[in-house]
Amino acid sequence: MKDLQPVVVVIDDDPSIREALQGLLETAALQVELYVSPREYLLRKPVDAPCCIILDVRLPGSSGLDFQRELARAGDRTPVIFLTGHADIAMTVQAMKAGAVEFLTKPYRDQALLEAVLLAIDNDRARRESDEAVAGVRQRLETLTPRERQVMALAAAGQSNKQIAGTIGVGDVTVRVHHRQVMRKMRARSLAELIRIAEMLKNNGIDV
Amino acid sequence: VTTEDNEDRLLRSVALQNAESIRVARQRAEQQAEAALRERANLLNLTHDSIFVHGINGAIRYWNRGAEELYGWTAEEVVGRIAYDLLKTVFPASLEQIEAEVMRADRWEGELVHTKKDGSQVVVASRWSLQRDEQGTPAAILETNNDITERKRAEAEARESERALRKAQADLARTTRLTTMGELTASIAHEIVQPLSAVNTNVNTCLHWLEDEKFDLAKARSAATRAAKDADRAIEIIKRVRALMTKSEIQKVELNMSDILSEVLALTDHELRARQVSVNSELAATLPPVLGDRVQLQQLMLNLIMNGIEAMATVAGRPRKLTIEMRAEDTDHVLAVVRDSGLGLDPEKADQIFTPFFTTKPEGTGMGLAICRSIVEAHNGRIWASPGTPHGSVFQFTLPTKAVGTS
Repeated sequence: MKDLQPVVVVIDDDPSIREALQGLLETAALQVELYVSPREYLLRKPVDAPCCIILDVRLPGSSGLDFQRELARAGDRTPVIFLTGHADIAMTVQAMKAGAVEFLTKPYRDQALLEAVLLAIDNDRARRESDEAVAGVRQRLETLTPRERQVMALAAAGQSNKQIAGTIGVGDVTVRVHHRQVMRKMRARSLAELIRIAEMLKNNGIDV
Repeated sequence: VTTEDNEDRLLRSVALQNAESIRVARQRAEQQAEAALRERANLLNLTHDSIFVHGINGAIRYWNRGAEELYGWTAEEVVGRIAYDLLKTVFPASLEQIEAEVMRADRWEGELVHTKKDGSQVVVASRWSLQRDEQGTPAAILETNNDITERKRAEAEARESERALRKAQADLARTTRLTTMGELTASIAHEIVQPLSAVNTNVNTCLHWLEDEKFDLAKARSAATRAAKDADRAIEIIKRVRALMTKSEIQKVELNMSDILSEVLALTDHELRARQVSVNSELAATLPPVLGDRVQLQQLMLNLIMNGIEAMATVAGRPRKLTIEMRAEDTDHVLAVVRDSGLGLDPEKADQIFTPFFTTKPEGTGMGLAICRSIVEAHNGRIWASPGTPHGSVFQFTLPTKAVGTS
């Protein structure tokens, strides 16, 4: 996955800006896709690669800020860099609160834009890796029996095998067997790692 | 001898008688001629035109009552004097040229300036006729002069006040234009920033590909080409803005209203987007050219578009739409229609809105539409407004096509 060529999406209705950005991004060996409007972008087939969007705030049809909200609603978490002709503070705050990576005003500095793009792509790569990790852990969680899952939850909450045996009313030996199974299935090499995995699941809304 | 004497006497007597009768006849003829001349001179005295006759050398021979009244000299005072010296005549061309014309065509017409006895000047419409003797040799020139000083002054005054009015209108139009441009500053800045940003990026991209370790001439060249194109675009925008800002004399040239529209839309593009107004242009495939002042017609379209934008500023719940149509209304006129989906127009006030200082907008100057009308009328066109259906207003104007405007 780390070998995937990152993609930068440029959405701007001005052909000069689109072409100039394409040229600039190619100097950083980035793959570029150009779109005139958000609608055009939404019609495209999603690419499986780290990605970021450079977006003009005042776009025909819908404003860039509306588009950002629309993306969030659709579950698209691609990082967005705003590029605008004239930004006011309210607009900037709104965009940054909604999770924009950067808010640049035209005329922008090329270096600032490139840095923002590289940062956004790193963020996206990290997010994709973490998404992948969560997906893997979640898959493994599904392989646990209800009893093993119970043991995992209590162990991650800091209970000793003895305490767990008391809580669920089985023998110590049985708990130890379950615990070993949990560690093997979840690919946790230590209790600390098991706690971290449980935490990761919890952070992604999954109760063990 | 006696006989000879008698014959001689007789002959002498006959000769005398003949001489006498010739003398009498000549006298009678002279009297008749003089009477005829006097009669003609009296007739000439009846006219209010000033008439005088001078010889080819310029010496005055006849001077009518009209001339006495106009110039202040009596006939006795001027007969024998050289007309051009007496009247300090100012000719529109050299005297030689005028005399040559008179000799060729037997007549000449033109405007002269004469100085009167009291020293004041008079402008006359002068008509010269050449008189020739029996042999056809030029003998005298008859000059008929009409005082047109008053008419000339009135004409000059009319021209001056017309010029002053035009200037006032142009100054006002320019002021309003500058005000409108002031309102558009942010948008225009954006229009210029777009291509300049692109120039900057393209130049940096070009420099990147020129570095030793990354050298790629094709890519550098393509970036430089883009930069040049974008710089041209920025220059075009600045030129348009400058054309609207400058104070220039009205210059009517052959132009196409669809070009005017696209020039104005290029300047208002960002403003329209910022105010979330969509523009729909419906232009006839072939639009006959009109004869007009580019800047004024740009301002006309600019004012109408800004008027539409402002009329829709408070509109919510329906799209803000500006529709601009242009087509040939008939063989002689181009028709332009600007529809908005704004608050609309009180039909009773449809005529008033073109009056200076009439406004329905809290921050309106009331000059925008008044200037539209003055521009349209200066181009011999017509402008009117009506309520739109189901809402909004419709502004329409016609301009004569070039073919009509020139005739």
